[in-house]
Amino acid sequence: MARRMIMMEYDNLNDELLSVTDTSLKYAKALDSSAEFEIFIHYESSSEAEIDQGVVTAKDGVVAGNAVRAAKGQRVGFACASGIDLDRVKLSTREALSIINTISVEDDRFKGFCEPRKPGREGVFTKEILELGTDDLIEHSLQMVEEARETDPKAKIVNAGCSASWGGIALGNTLGIQAASRTGMNSCYVYVIAMDGEERKSSFDFDVSRERLFETAGLGERAAKDAVRLLGAKKIDTTAKMPTIWTPKASAPYVLSSIGKSVTGQPVVEGISPLCDMLGDTIASSGLTIVDDGQNPKGLGTHAVDGEGHPQQRNVIVDKGVLKSFLFDSYYGRAFNVESTGNCSRGGGPFGGPTPYESSPSVSTKWLEIEQGKKGIDDLVAEVDGKGVMIMDMPLGIFHTNVSTGEFSVVANSVLLIENGEIKGSLEPVSIAGQFYEGFKNLLHIGSDVTLTPYGAQAPSLLFDDFSVTG
Amino acid sequence: MFDLLQKCVRVGEDLGADFVEARYDDLTLRTLQRTDDIWKDIQVKSRMGFGITCYVDGVSGFSFTASSASKDVKMAAEKAFKMAKASSKAATLKLPFERGSPVKSKKSDTLPVKVHPRDKDLGHKTDMVNRVVESAREHGANIRNIRGLYGELYGKKMFTNSDASEIDWEFLVTGLRCYVTSKTDSGALVFAVEGHGGTIGLDFFESKGTTPEEVGESAGAKAKEQLKAKACPAGQFRSLIENRLVGVLAHESFGHLSEADFIVTGGSPLAGKIGERLGTEHATIIDGGYPDIKKTGGLWFPFDDQGIAGGQTVVLDKGVLVHYLHNRGTAKKLGQEPTGNSRAVSFVFPPIPRMTNTYFTLGTLTEEEALEQLGTGVYAIQTSGGQVDADGSFLFKAIRGYWVERGEIKHPLREVALSGNILDFLGKIEGATKELRLYSGYFGGCGKGGQSPLPVGFGGPKLLVGDVTFGGQANG
Repeated sequence: MARRMIMMEYDNLNDELLSVTDTSLKYAKALDSSAEFEIFIHYESSSEAEIDQGVVTAKDGVVAGNAVRAAKGQRVGFACASGIDLDRVKLSTREALSIINTISVEDDRFKGFCEPRKPGREGVFTKEILELGTDDLIEHSLQMVEEARETDPKAKIVNAGCSASWGGIALGNTLGIQAASRTGMNSCYVYVIAMDGEERKSSFDFDVSRERLFETAGLGERAAKDAVRLLGAKKIDTTAKMPTIWTPKASAPYVLSSIGKSVTGQPVVEGISPLCDMLGDTIASSGLTIVDDGQNPKGLGTHAVDGEGHPQQRNVIVDKGVLKSFLFDSYYGRAFNVESTGNCSRGGGPFGGPTPYESSPSVSTKWLEIEQGKKGIDDLVAEVDGKGVMIMDMPLGIFHTNVSTGEFSVVANSVLLIENGEIKGSLEPVSIAGQFYEGFKNLLHIGSDVTLTPYGAQAPSLLFDDFSVTG
Repeated sequence: MFDLLQKCVRVGEDLGADFVEARYDDLTLRTLQRTDDIWKDIQVKSRMGFGITCYVDGVSGFSFTASSASKDVKMAAEKAFKMAKASSKAATLKLPFERGSPVKSKKSDTLPVKVHPRDKDLGHKTDMVNRVVESAREHGANIRNIRGLYGELYGKKMFTNSDASEIDWEFLVTGLRCYVTSKTDSGALVFAVEGHGGTIGLDFFESKGTTPEEVGESAGAKAKEQLKAKACPAGQFRSLIENRLVGVLAHESFGHLSEADFIVTGGSPLAGKIGERLGTEHATIIDGGYPDIKKTGGLWFPFDDQGIAGGQTVVLDKGVLVHYLHNRGTAKKLGQEPTGNSRAVSFVFPPIPRMTNTYFTLGTLTEEEALEQLGTGVYAIQTSGGQVDADGSFLFKAIRGYWVERGEIKHPLREVALSGNILDFLGKIEGATKELRLYSGYFGGCGKGGQSPLPVGFGGPKLLVGDVTFGGQANG
């Protein structure tokens, strides 16, 4: 097994991983034929390099791990282990089985593992990503740093990084699922702090793709210009309700931390989602359409199967302002008397974190797409009567919100003042507070500038009315 | 196991590395989660693997493997060397450090506990969670949802390096938590959380004040109180900040800025400010891996992942910045001593400067005196999280609070965000209460550089602070 791990290649990865699930399932059944089992295998080779003020950090390795669920009736046990050698999968299998054999606690909602279905499609992937070496990643990072520095002497602190990864997952269970899926991507980012005296303003830019190599040219310049533009900030010196424009780096987190959380199985079934009784209701202005697409060939969360082996699919969540569907895995789907929507996730979110196999299955969005509107960013600015603000980056605290209340209060550090349809310069940090779902009803306009973000969503700028702004 | 680790060190050195570190983790994690009457999660994780760092010319390269085949482990050492070599050509800021004397761990470096979680079966632990949930149900009202959680993380950490250090100790952190969500008559959802944790055995959860029943009761009762809580008005108010929230401020807003990787690059606003006054005389902040756990609680962390013994580092001394939190390279660069703060969340990650237990030191006030000095303002309690920016600006969510008028608690407040810049904040601290509490545990933890959740401890007394900006709904 050890030798096989090293020899794994993209082309034969699915077969290699499936042979692990296959052997492991046989072992599990021989261990206890009265139990049902599910085996999850994760394998990901990744390299990354980062340059931070001249300090270079590089890392290269294979994240490999396994997770096993064992069930008897409504008793379910989960165990996982680093490594995909058979010994390590056997360890998880024995641990998972020992949980259900020693404990009589039952999960009344559990009605068995996922039933087999025809898998969906893998996303597109360029094998050029496989060729990216550490030297390339360092070289590209250097280019972004140099470009940012050359743009403006006030771009004092610059860090940049690149990463490339490829890998796959495999699932097998005693109901007959035997499925595997591969993925890969490469990304780069540059983060600039512009300084003038004691004042510091930051901006970042990035590129991420699975179907082509990342493009670093222009990123450093844009980030540097944006950061410098934010210098000379003034206090807004008011507490009032006003229009706010959330540019894509802010609007994507807004949608992910509101609807992206509240339409998922757990809060819906447990009744703590503010949307749990609102299927078919109008929850937003009629311009808003939100799709979670686990099959978009270019989406970063695309897989043939989800975290329990169900085919991933395209789900329309909000259609022209009307709440159309929730997102489920088979566990929460059955609890809600509907089919899984292919949204089972390991590790939460479309990317699952550094060791996805360590998390038991949950429900999450795969790739949120907010449909574009008609107005360019300048038109959105022109729509603001009186005072308003434009948020340029992800505000602080946007992901620290409680799904049950929908209330949020965030601090935007990169923010511009708008007065009567014109940008009037940079502001010192402002806090913005409101309620996500009232916000969707007060959504005035949607931009045409859909941007793919590294947070797991692609989004346009959104212009909301009536959030309270303090600063 | 030391044999294999030492082989890796030789592989790296033979290729030309100036210094090599090899570590081995064999950790077990157990999580139990009950939601209402359903056991949502009972899980076991085994986290076993090797992490190798090679240094070339003051630049590091890192690789790892989950395989214990000696061939794979040696290959990780080769990869780490290649990374370091490639990086050293591009690096303009290098952080070399000198070899030191070998460090050997002793048996007493593993903190003994009366009832280790490995000695109790699963039934004992599910029973603890059941007691939490039942008690919360009994003491709450209009409950929509109760979650009871227990978690444990323990196991071996081994380390060797080119100094021929041999470190072998056992990590332990446990935690018990309860979340209660209730619904008000008008349909709004409110919540409360209570819990205990740290490097403690299961005996801790049978002592008065920290039993499962008391954890559940407190969460249920606080959610009930939230049913009649009002929204906190937006604006600037004087504030009394409760111990847990103080700890998160010490950790998130100040501690991260004092981590020396942000200092050597100039990314932190604390860079170049040693000896400068940043806060009032009431602002003393310490980070250390050896707290008096019996007395204050906290996390036991005797050695960091570069094999450096944890100290008690005074970072801010009566308002004056005196020390940063280091790895070996940053300490050398800045002419300070290593502080035992180089940590990795698991073998998959390289060690980077992180905190251990970070806290404000105690003052002289009783809680009554603090409220009296507060006058009128907000008593902000607990936190559901926070975030900071590179310039020191922060936002934290206090889970609940009270409105105080002329030194008297008037009515409970809902979840509220407080924000500001830590450097302003430190200058507004007017006093501190005289009880020190450290908080740690299996749940939660710190995130940095994609490494999360790292168990940490944080805390302090209650702090009395001048104007603090509170978010909330504007009326205008």
